[in-house]
Amino acid sequence: MKKLAVFSVLALLTLLYLLPFGLASAMDVNEIVEKANLASYYAGDDGIANAAMKIYDSQGRIREREFKILRKDVEDGGEQYYYVYFFRPGDVRKTVFMVHKHIDRDDDRWLYLPALDLVKRIAATDKRTSFVGSHFFYEDVSGRSPQDDNHELEKETDKYYILKNTPKDADIVEFSYYYVWIDKNTFLPMKAEYYDKGGKLYRRMTVLSVKNIQGFPTVVEAKMEDLNSGGYTILKFLKVQYNKNIPKRIFTERYLRRPPRKYIRR
Amino acid sequence: MALAKQGKCYISYLYFLALLIFFFGRMPVFAMSVLEDLSGFFETSGSYRVVDNDLAKTDWLLGEVRLQLDYTKDTDDFTISLKPEFIFDGTDRELHFNFRESYILLPLDALDIKLGRQIITWGTGDFVFLNDVFPKDWQSFFLGRDDEYLKKPANAIRWTLFFDKFSVDIAWLPFFTPDQFISGERLSYYNPLSGSLSGPLNPEIDPDYPDTEIENGEIAARIFGTLGSWEIAVYGYRGRWGVPSGFDVDKNKPFFPHLEVWGSSMRGPIAGGIFNAEVAWYRSLDDLNGSDPYVPNSEFRWLLGYSHEIAADQSIGVQAYMEHLLDYSQYKKSGGNRDRERLWLTLRYTGLFMQQNLTLSFFGFFAPIEKDLYCRPKISYKYSDNITVTLGANVFFGVESSTFFGQFEENTNIYARIRYFF
Repeated sequence: MKKLAVFSVLALLTLLYLLPFGLASAMDVNEIVEKANLASYYAGDDGIANAAMKIYDSQGRIREREFKILRKDVEDGGEQYYYVYFFRPGDVRKTVFMVHKHIDRDDDRWLYLPALDLVKRIAATDKRTSFVGSHFFYEDVSGRSPQDDNHELEKETDKYYILKNTPKDADIVEFSYYYVWIDKNTFLPMKAEYYDKGGKLYRRMTVLSVKNIQGFPTVVEAKMEDLNSGGYTILKFLKVQYNKNIPKRIFTERYLRRPPRKYIRR
Repeated sequence: MALAKQGKCYISYLYFLALLIFFFGRMPVFAMSVLEDLSGFFETSGSYRVVDNDLAKTDWLLGEVRLQLDYTKDTDDFTISLKPEFIFDGTDRELHFNFRESYILLPLDALDIKLGRQIITWGTGDFVFLNDVFPKDWQSFFLGRDDEYLKKPANAIRWTLFFDKFSVDIAWLPFFTPDQFISGERLSYYNPLSGSLSGPLNPEIDPDYPDTEIENGEIAARIFGTLGSWEIAVYGYRGRWGVPSGFDVDKNKPFFPHLEVWGSSMRGPIAGGIFNAEVAWYRSLDDLNGSDPYVPNSEFRWLLGYSHEIAADQSIGVQAYMEHLLDYSQYKKSGGNRDRERLWLTLRYTGLFMQQNLTLSFFGFFAPIEKDLYCRPKISYKYSDNITVTLGANVFFGVESSTFFGQFEENTNIYARIRYFF
C-alpha cells in the first residue's frame, strides 16, 4: 500500500514534470505564433500606456519621443484600433496618429495636425518604415500579421521556442528572414533577429523588461538596434493599464480633432 | 487698413502684458502651474525677392522674429487653449501681437462646442480649397512663412453634433472674416482695372469692408460620416467671397460680394493609395445671372486627387482641380477677359531621410490653360528635438502677367527659417 502510494506520487511528479514540456512540444508552430501574436498585441480588450522613446544615432546623439497610446481590439487576433497622441518633441506636440488595423485589407491611417486643424489621410502600403523617426517600424508597434510569413520551429530550449520566419512576399520587405525567441511561459517574443537579403544579421529587437500587469505579462522596455548604422532606440511603456472600457467612438474623427482628455492625461 | 490693425494690436499687446504682470506678480503658485503647461516656439525668418521688381523699394519680403506661446488648460468639463503670438516685423519695424488661437472647448455627450478664436479646416484638397471657405492667409503662404499660416484664425462658434451614423459640424462666424489677400502691401499683383501690375510703391488695395454686424456674418455646415474606409461629406456655406473680387463703381472701391457654396466630397483607399474627389457649386449671390462685370460669376469647382507611397518614407500626391465659370456668355458679353476654365494640376513630393530628420518636399501648381505655374521646393532639417531649420523658395512664372500665378512672377523669393521649440 505504502509502496503504491510512493509509486503514485513519483508517477504524478514525473507526469507533472513531463506534462507541460510534452504538451508544449506537441504544440503546432502556428499555434505558437498565434499565441505570441495575442500575447504581444492583444492583451485585454483594450489598453492604455505612456510610451517614452530614446533614439540614439551612431554618433550617440539622442532624440526623444513621448506619446500616449490607446488600443482597442475589435476581436482577438483580428481588427484593432490605435490612437497615438504626442507630447514631445515640440514640433509634433498635440499631433494625433490613428490607425484602424485590418486583417483582410490595408490599414486605414489618419494624422491630425492641430496647427492647421487638418485631418490627413495617409496611404499605408509600407508598414516597414520608421515609426516617428525611431528604429522601430510601424509594424513593430502594431504587429506584423502572422499570415505574412511562413513559420518554422527552428529550435526549442527550456525557455524559448525559436522560430524562423520567412516572408511570403519577399519583394515588399527588407529582410529575407528573421528569428524570434518566444518565451514558453508568457509567449512574449523576447528577441528577434533580422537577416538581410545577403544573409547578414542587421537588425535586432531585445526585450529588456517584462512586468505582470493585471495578470497580463507585458513588455515594458525594449530595444531595437540597427546593426548597420549602430543606432538604436529604447522604448519604455509606463502606466500600462488594461480593460479600461475605452469606447469605440474614441477612434473616430471627433477625437482626432478633440483628444479624449480622460484617456490621454500625461 | 493693415496699419490701423497693427496699431490696435499694439494696444492689445500692452493690455496682455499688463494682464501677465498682474497674474504672475500676484499669484506665483498659479504662475508656476501656468509655466508648467506652457510651450511654444521662437522663430526667426527671412524672405528675399530674387527677381527684379520695379515696383518694390526693398527686396526683403519678410524679416521677422516670432514668439508663439501655447497654453492649454484641460479639465473634464472644458479645455482652454491660448496661443498668443508676439512678432517683431523688420519690414514695417513694428511689434505685433495677436492670438493665433484663444478658445474654450466644451465637450458634452454628443456635442462639442468650440467658442472663440480658432482655425477651422475641412474638405479634401491639398492647398486647393473648394468647400473649405474659412479664412486663408495667401500673403503668408507666398512669403514663405510656415504652411500652418495659410490658415487664418477666425472668431467663431463651432458646434459638432454626433449621431450614430453621421455627424454634423456647424461653424458660425458672427462677423465676416476676409482672407489676408494680396493687397499690394508687400507682394505686387495684377490690377485688372488698370491693366497693369500694382505693387508696394503703388497704393494698396483698400476694399470696402462689410460692417461688423451680425447680419454680415458667415455660416458654414458639414454633414459627415464614414462608409467602411470611405469618408463622405456634404457641405454648405453662406457668406462672402474671401477676397474683394467685386468692385463698387459708386464708391470706387473693391468689395466682398455675397457667396453661397454647396458641395460634397469623398476620400478613401484605392490600390494602396488615397483617392479623393470633391465638388462645389459657388453661387455668386450678387450676380446670379452673370451679367455684372464688377462681380465674379458663379462657378463650378471640382477636384480629383490621389496620393501614394513610392518608396519607404517617400510619397507622391497629384491633383487635378478646375474652376469652371458659369454663365460664361454673359461674362464675355459684359467684357470679362478670363478663360472659362482654370485648371490646376498639382504635384506634391515628400521624402524623409536621415532617420526622418531631413525632409525634402516639393509642391507645384501647373496651369496648362493660363500657362503659369507656382512651385514650392523646401528642405527642412531637424538639428535636434528643439531646433528645426528650413530653407525654401516660392517660384512664380507666367507667360502673361494677368494670370493667377503669373502676376506674382516678380515676387519669386527664397526664404530661410529657424525655429526653436520649448
